Amino acid sequence: MTADEIKTTNMPQNTLKKKKHKGIESLKSTYGRLFVLHWEIGLLLFFVMPLFQSFYYAFCDVSFSGGEYHFQYAGLKNYNEAINVDPEFMNNVSASIGEIFASLPVIVIISLILALLLNQKFKGRIFFRGLYFLPVIIASGVVIELLFMSTSDELSSAGVSGSLASNMISVEDIILWLNLPTQIGAFFGNLLNNIFNLIWNCGIQIVLFISGMQSIADSLYEVSKVEGATKWEEFWFITLPMLSRTLILVIIFTIVELVTAKNNVVMTQAYTLMRGAATKYGLASAMLWIYFIIVGVIMGIIMFLFGKFCLKRWDTGGRS
Amino acid sequence: MKVVSAVKDSVIKFKNASSETRYKALRKANGVLASLLRYVILIGIGYIILYPLFYMISSSFRTKESFYDPSVIWITSELTLENFSYSWKILDYGSSVLNTIIYEMVSAAIQIISCSIVAYGLARFEFKEKKILTFFMFLLILVPSQMMMLPIFMNYSKLDFLGILGMLDSLTGIDIRPNVLNSFWTFYLPALLGVGIRSGIIIYIYIQFFKGLPKELEEAAWIDGAGPFKTYLRIALPSSGVVITTVTVFSLIWHWNDYSLSSMYLYSESWPVAVKLSSINTPEAMGTLRLDSNDPLRIAIMMSACLLFVVPILIVYLFLQRKFVKSIDRVGITG
Repeated sequence: MTADEIKTTNMPQNTLKKKKHKGIESLKSTYGRLFVLHWEIGLLLFFVMPLFQSFYYAFCDVSFSGGEYHFQYAGLKNYNEAINVDPEFMNNVSASIGEIFASLPVIVIISLILALLLNQKFKGRIFFRGLYFLPVIIASGVVIELLFMSTSDELSSAGVSGSLASNMISVEDIILWLNLPTQIGAFFGNLLNNIFNLIWNCGIQIVLFISGMQSIADSLYEVSKVEGATKWEEFWFITLPMLSRTLILVIIFTIVELVTAKNNVVMTQAYTLMRGAATKYGLASAMLWIYFIIVGVIMGIIMFLFGKFCLKRWDTGGRS
Repeated sequence: MKVVSAVKDSVIKFKNASSETRYKALRKANGVLASLLRYVILIGIGYIILYPLFYMISSSFRTKESFYDPSVIWITSELTLENFSYSWKILDYGSSVLNTIIYEMVSAAIQIISCSIVAYGLARFEFKEKKILTFFMFLLILVPSQMMMLPIFMNYSKLDFLGILGMLDSLTGIDIRPNVLNSFWTFYLPALLGVGIRSGIIIYIYIQFFKGLPKELEEAAWIDGAGPFKTYLRIALPSSGVVITTVTVFSLIWHWNDYSLSSMYLYSESWPVAVKLSSINTPEAMGTLRLDSNDPLRIAIMMSACLLFVVPILIVYLFLQRKFVKSIDRVGITG
């Protein structure tokens, strides 16, 4: 500080002003740092350090004795056990990866369509919006799990009730009535049986989409109206390109949700290990690392492809 | 016959009309059709959304006999409240709701405040590390909290800051590292430091909002001699009611539904409702009622427990609903 003062007193009037201005700037950046200081500590304590720790545990034999955890370096033993020895783990991983690819497009498209519908002006809009955010509240993992449990085979075999969807609209009847080939029928039956999971997963995505749609400037729509664009063209050339960033946020959020859902098979397996003895902690960490690295790679590929084919094209203004 | 002739009349009228009125009529019909379609879709999917709630309500009031009666679809002639008394006992409802409030709801409130401070700093000020910190915010959204759960759990048993206290222990033999497991610090500490449950996305929503807020007011306050913290408290915070509503609803719900963290960091006597609910179908919980695994009363008890779990947050949502729905229009999450 003192050195700065000496410097400024020796300087001509013009540069002195500049110097003072810079002082305010640096003061402002100090204030900015003060605002995020507690968060930096939090990131270090609850994010960066634990991440490194779990990476380290995955290479260790963990044991618990005398109130202390002991770590013994064991190389790739845990990874080997997860991939080669454990009979279920790799199957579980591939099942949940498959689930991502099956559910993600459906969830994104359904929530986009619903958001478009709810974003228009019509009577009862507030009521319907309130209704459509309900899944966010009710559909916590635990409740969904219990709902499906309560309609599981074990109980339905006792003549109590079928699955949720077939209970509701009797899918088999509709398929019989439509006289579809069995494979297509099975596909639709499967889709309808999963419709709860899918639609109940859409709540926050709808919120994000509506919020994104509201931030698109009205003037764009006015111009397109003057130019005589149809609603269909409006959607493809204004709404969707302007939503591109929201879209990628929704995609990422959905993937994270699907991957870490409570009824996800890999997560269940890892939870069971974590609640057990400390000797399994290394294995649990290794499993989580394998799983999330695979998911991370998939996310990276999706983001890369999205950036290359969608963002680039849309940011330069629709069809170029 | 009357209807047919009326339709015929209108068709003839339509054919004889000028092209302009024809066009208008078609447009009107189109609009009516579109709005009809919209309502059909909205109500149809609304039914799918509400169905499980109806199912919960319907089956939680049922008696055991009614489950075997095929003529019963929604409502039975005999309604019973017995299921609720069972599930109340299994959930230990009173004390577990209190636990949820002590551990989860308070930390939700803390999180709402601490995250807004962080977001204000990131949205309004320029400094060198900002880019790295923004990158970390995205990482916080991307990396699932389950990755950090186990190390954090182990760290909590001997809370330490960057190994300073551990060093003290190894040098002097004085161990003052506290064991905070099963205390409210396990939730308050991350919430205070802005890294609680899904803090990344909450900070992100805040940042998007603050960026859209006009800067001029804050600059005027700044010039009038208010410090940055006073500006934040008196100007930025009061004008961000919209985003606070959105974030409050999200944060409350995520904390209410939190299951994985609390089952890890807390012992069974201080479990919140979500964890108790998740273990309701285990033999230990059901064993107290002496029900066998095929007893349909289990469904009734599970569903009534779900209802008990959902109702408090549903009531809160009903109060905030109008405000929340409107706030979504104005938060401006652009991605």
